Parts: sequence; C-alpha cells; structure tokens
Amino acid sequence: MAITETKSDSFKTRGEFAEVLHHLVRDPLGLTGLIIVSLIFTAAIFADWIVPYDPIALNIKDRMQGPSMNHLMGTDQLGRDTLSRVIMGGRIALQVALPTIGGAITIGVLLGMIAGFGPRWLDNLIILFFDTVRSFPTVMFALAVVALVGPSLTTVIFVIMMTSIPTYGRVVRTQTLTLRNSEFILAERSMGASVGRILAVHILPNVLGPLAVLAAMDIPTVVGLEAGLSFLGMGVKPPTPSWGSILNDGYSLIRNTPWIIIAGGVPLILTTLGFTFLGEALRDVVDPKLRGRR
Amino acid sequence: MTADILKITDLSIHYDTPRGALKALRHVNVSVPRGKIVGVVGESGCGKSTLISTIIRLLANNAKVASGSIVFDDQDLLALSETQMRGLRGTDISMVFQDPMQTHNPVLTIGRQMTDIQYRDKSTTAEKRNRAADMLALVGIPDPVQRLDQFPHEFSGGMRQRIAIAMALMARPKLLIADEPTTALDATLEVQIIKRLHELQAEIGCSILFISHHLGVIAELCEEVVVMYAGEVVEQGSVRDVFHSPSHPYTKALLDCDPGHIKEKTRSLPTIPGEIPDLVNLPAGCAFAPRCSQVFDACRSNRPAWNECKPGHHALCHLAETETVS
Repeated sequence: MAITETKSDSFKTRGEFAEVLHHLVRDPLGLTGLIIVSLIFTAAIFADWIVPYDPIALNIKDRMQGPSMNHLMGTDQLGRDTLSRVIMGGRIALQVALPTIGGAITIGVLLGMIAGFGPRWLDNLIILFFDTVRSFPTVMFALAVVALVGPSLTTVIFVIMMTSIPTYGRVVRTQTLTLRNSEFILAERSMGASVGRILAVHILPNVLGPLAVLAAMDIPTVVGLEAGLSFLGMGVKPPTPSWGSILNDGYSLIRNTPWIIIAGGVPLILTTLGFTFLGEALRDVVDPKLRGRR
Repeated sequence: MTADILKITDLSIHYDTPRGALKALRHVNVSVPRGKIVGVVGESGCGKSTLISTIIRLLANNAKVASGSIVFDDQDLLALSETQMRGLRGTDISMVFQDPMQTHNPVLTIGRQMTDIQYRDKSTTAEKRNRAADMLALVGIPDPVQRLDQFPHEFSGGMRQRIAIAMALMARPKLLIADEPTTALDATLEVQIIKRLHELQAEIGCSILFISHHLGVIAELCEEVVVMYAGEVVEQGSVRDVFHSPSHPYTKALLDCDPGHIKEKTRSLPTIPGEIPDLVNLPAGCAFAPRCSQVFDACRSNRPAWNECKPGHHALCHLAETETVS
C-alpha cells in the first residue's frame, strides 16, 4: 500500500495532505483543534526540556503548596511539581492513545474488510467476535486482565485496543458491504483486478476518510479511559505521572489542595475538545461525498 | 484460428431460486466474428445481462451453467481456472458498463485509476501515465494531461463514459463488451459516443458485442444483430436482413414498436400485448407463443428449431421452417 500511496502523491500538483491542511486551517473549529492538538504533541515530545522540575522528585519541604511563581500549578502531597507531572502525563496519555488507536485501526480495517468482502460464514464469525468483545464493559475487561497479568502501561494499551477494534471493524465492514456491489467494483473485476487489489486500491481509500475522523474523535475517549484506569489503580504504576493518577492524588486531597484536581482535569478536557474539533473539521474535509462542495 | 472471436454454443444458465430453477438462458447460440460489431437487443429481463456476465465469468453465486460452451479465441472460457480467466479480463476481453456515473471509484483521480489498471505492465509510472493521457486524447477528452489529476465527479456523464471506454480499450482487447453504454446519456451524446466507438473499433480492430434497447443505435453501429426474448436467441443475422425482412414475429413486433418506424400520427404508441413468461415454469412450446400474433397449433406444443431463413440469417420459429420449405 505504501508504494501505491507514494505513486499517487507524485501525480498531484498539490499533495492530498496539503489540500486537507489548507481546508482545515480555513475552518475556525478546525484551526482551534489543530492548534490545541499541536500544542499537546509539542509538549509531549519535548517534555524532557519543558518540565521545570523532575516530575517524580520528592521535595517534602515544599509539599502541598498553592500555585506560585516557583510552582505554577502548585505541588502535591509529596512535594512534586504538578505542572511537570501534567506535562509528563500528557506524554503517557499519547503513548497510550497512539499505539492503541493505530493497532485498533489496523486490525479493525483488516477484519472489517474480510467480514465485508468474504463469505457469509466468515462475516458471521467476525461479527460474533466483535459482539463478544463489545458485550464486556471495558472496565470489567480491564479488571480481569489486570488480575491476570498485573497493572502496567502495556496492559492498558492491550485492553483499550481490544475494546476499540469492534468500533473500527464495524464501520469498515458496513462500508465494504455497500461498496462491494457497486458498479465501479464490478467494473474493476471485469478489468481483471484480484480480490486483494480491489480491497487495497479501491475499497481502502473509500473507508479511510470516515476512519480518520473516527480515530480523531476516539483519541479523547482513549485518553479518558487511560486516566480512568490509572485513577482506579489499574493503569500506570505510581511514580509514573499520568493524568489519571494526578486526578487520583488530587481527589484524596481535594479539601486542602483543590488545584491538583483542576490541573489534572483541564488538560483532559482540552485534549477532548481539541481532538473532537479536529475530528469534526476533518470529516467535512475528507469525506468523499462532500468533496464536490469544496 | 477460427473466423469467430467468440462462439457461444447451446448455452443454458439456471438460477437457483426458492421456487425452483429459473432458466435465465436456454440453448443460446451467438457468434461474434473477428473485427465485427454484433448488437444484442431484447426487452428487460430477456437475459442480456446474464449472457455478458457469463462471458466474463462474473455470474451471481446462485447461477449455474446447465449446458453449453463459450469459445473465445480458441479456448473454452467455461473450462478456464479463475486465475486464467482473470488474466483475460481487461486484456483480451473488456467491458463498458451502463451507468457512467458509477463506473469509477469516487475517491481516486482518473489518472490513478487509469495507471492502476495497467498493473500487469512492467513499465514505469510515467509511461503508464502517458499512455493513459494518450487514451484520453483518443476518446476525445481535451487537455488529457491536466484532466488526469481530476476526480470522477469533476467530469460530465458523457466524459465519464468516454473515460470508461478509454480504460476498456487501454490494453487493446480482442473483444469489447458494451452493456448499454449510451442508455444513461442524452441523444446528442449518444450519437457522439457511437461515432467514436465506431472509429476506435476500426482503429484497434477489435470485435464489439453491443447490448442495447435502442434499435436505431444497433442499426447504425452494428453489422450483425442478435434478438433475444425470454432467455432465448430468437433471431440472428445481418442488420440488413433482420431489420428489413424480420423472420421472427417478435422481431417484427419489436420493430413495429420503435417510435422511429411509426409514420402516422397516433395518440398511443404500439406495444406487444402480454408479458414475458415465467422462467421457472415455461410453456411447453415456443416461449413467445402466448404473445404471438401469428401463433398456430404447433407453436403451443413443440419447441421451434433454429431454422436458417437464408445464409447467415437464423430464426427460432416454426414459421421460418415453413418459409424455407415453401
């Protein structure tokens, strides 16, 4: 697929990516989303240089301080700088969200296309798998896995990925089902295209648009889930900062140091908003059915 | 090398339905000579689509080949493996479909699609792209190089059908199957497309199997015509013979119904009374007997034979038989 993608790019006077970006920036919602998302990414990538303090260094002398010039968001009960922890927590959040969604999309697209294009029994089998996974509440499933292998970042990634696969798989399956009987697919078959070629060259680009939108909107859910699991003590282990563990710490100290819970919650809200804005703007730009309007 | 690029002999296709076997095609004989254009006419549901899906072997899952053979370029298509068959599609046999608005992938540029169908070729992308532009120019698309970067929705219906023809002819096939390629277009475009198709056929030297409802188009474009009714070929011959001295009553009725043939002012257009027989429970004799104006006793009990009216002109009718006798 990678080869055909680069081939197609060389055709265009203006690349597909540049085209999308151009339209995204013109949309105020898209621009806001894009700015927030880039800020989050920049903060996560350059976290090591940005953080004012070591996020896991204890400083009992300065514990439970309010916001000040030294500690912009105050410190927690162990004297750790909250701002540094929030920035590092953002990195953890993306570390969970990106592989999770990447993995879920890859597996979801594969299973969805097989279900949509393959024989009926295979379709039923895959749908059965999707329904089985979906019938477990995510937290219950996470509890079971944590009980088996213990809490860790990998466990969180695995659990969220497993529970996200059906969402993508079902979208791809439905799209494939509607496309498989369309005339242009028949035309391709009459030109001698094999099943693999039809799926990779013709069906995949048709499902990727909606999928990109779905993924952008799914990132906040995944970040929220990671925070929730860490909050329950099933996610990342204590010294590692994550937005969920910051919330957890803040929750127990809400009467003394309310700013900790705010510091942990605001980035979560911002992430959700940023990716949702971006996702909605992306949908308007990428959706092939709206193409004629641009 | 035989004279016919495509020779269909005694082909019967049955569809499995809950009511029993639906006999969509029965003992069909069609031959397409090399370098000729053969038209197929018949009303909806007469088996035209089943016929072409059988030729390119893209039949629905519940379809079964009950009898017959399809010999294309000296090989039996029905005996080929799926891989061998796929090798023929798009290289030796190509197809143009009815609805130009739906025959292209909406999210890929025309250039991308036209280079993609040349995947069997080892040449570079630039060469393939050049060939695509040449083909577009050949079918009459202005500024072909610029237009390669556009999406299907940026073309009009007539242009999209030209592009579809360009794609089908890209590999210089020996046989082009055109499934009502002008039905979705208006009359002016129809004339243009037909003219272009004629020129291209002469240049490439391929044979065309042209399916249409439109008798005028068939008369203009084709050298031979096949008339189908209820899953059977009822008449085949040269356009001149079939249109000027039709032997089968169905062909006569069909010609009488063509608005172009009506000379006097009339309030209502003529129709053929009755409807197509149930293809699951067929009548014993001739399938057209219940609607035929010249029906007699033998028609209701005996299936007519494939009678030769004159060399190269056949009809599936008892009347043709008596004509040859007398």
